[in-house]
Amino acid sequence: MPIKWKVIAPLIGILVLGLALPVKAFAHGASIKYTVSTVIELVASYDSGEPMAGAQFTIYAPDDPATPWLTGVCDDEGRFSFAPDRSQPGTWDIQIRQAGHGDIVHIPIGGDAAVTGGGGGYSKLQIGLMAAAVVWGSVGTALYFSRKRRA
Amino acid sequence: MKKRAFVIPVIVLSLAGIILTGCAGGEATGRLQVYANGEDFVRQGFVSKDGWSINFDHVYITLADITAYQTDPPYDPHSGGDISGKAAVSLDNVYTVDLADGDENAPPILVAEVSGAPAGHYNALFWEMIKASSGPAAGYSLVIIGTAEKDGRSVDFTINSNEECGYSCGEYVGDERRGILEKDGTADLEMTFHFDHIFGDADTPMDDDLNVSAIGFDPFAGGGQVDLDMAEFHLGHVGEGHCYCECN
Repeated sequence: MPIKWKVIAPLIGILVLGLALPVKAFAHGASIKYTVSTVIELVASYDSGEPMAGAQFTIYAPDDPATPWLTGVCDDEGRFSFAPDRSQPGTWDIQIRQAGHGDIVHIPIGGDAAVTGGGGGYSKLQIGLMAAAVVWGSVGTALYFSRKRRA
Repeated sequence: MKKRAFVIPVIVLSLAGIILTGCAGGEATGRLQVYANGEDFVRQGFVSKDGWSINFDHVYITLADITAYQTDPPYDPHSGGDISGKAAVSLDNVYTVDLADGDENAPPILVAEVSGAPAGHYNALFWEMIKASSGPAAGYSLVIIGTAEKDGRSVDFTINSNEECGYSCGEYVGDERRGILEKDGTADLEMTFHFDHIFGDADTPMDDDLNVSAIGFDPFAGGGQVDLDMAEFHLGHVGEGHCYCECN
């Protein structure tokens, strides 16, 4: 190997190592990000006071109360925490179960719980028939009054 | 003749519009079903905390004043008291059901269903256990008939209770969320009866609250007909969810 390569090859190796190994950031380079969130912490225990260690929890959000929003397992002290989605105000329901024992708690978040009514609405058939009735009624009324009177 | 040809359709269609408007102005509804479940303990039998292998032939329970509620805020059975809600569906009849009906894999017993129930989330349930006025459980609110075996000894037993209890329950707690009724859909609720609370369960640690408070089968080992004090036990649940209970 020519001497040139004896020098260049280690330099390339050092350069590659330099790219691969972690380097210290400049002391004056800083980046601060933050998030404000509400974290809810729950502690589950039996009536005896014994923690529900390892109990399963299921969280239901207000927008889709039939589908679990988050599931998980309590720690050894029966404790877990979560940050609810603030875009879903209303009542958040948390069910905790273990070995045939269970309970559910309801936590209102973001002001008044969202209340949705079971609005009846009109079917397409109903809308169509009602429109036809109105149109026919208007036409019929107009024709009735525009008829020629018999002498 | 021409005049009549216009006037009659106008009247008919106007009436149709009024009727349809009235129909559609009603609330969204669906079908709500109410089940009674004695769990695998009743269907498959189990071993009591004192070692009796118990199998059930019949478990007659008489239910009345069954009412499902949509409560907001949700009813808290730990606080007790009456349930009040923005919508309620009541079953007027008295029902005597056999929780042991069917084989060991039988589904829970469908007690009744209501069509035209207002849509929404039924998150509270009330019912009463009352004395049956006729039928196989006449005079009793609960009749448990079966056989228990231990150490080669077999005992045929009939356990009766004539106590009447009211159960005020919150939301069903279990594998699935229940009671959410959508327009034109079907939802169900369940009255769940935990018989391990009476006899205890050999598969549960003996120091568990369940076994500490259960009386086991020994008090009934004499066979024959024995009366049971229901107020001592939390028999009625909604899945694993507890109920507030008052007996008299």
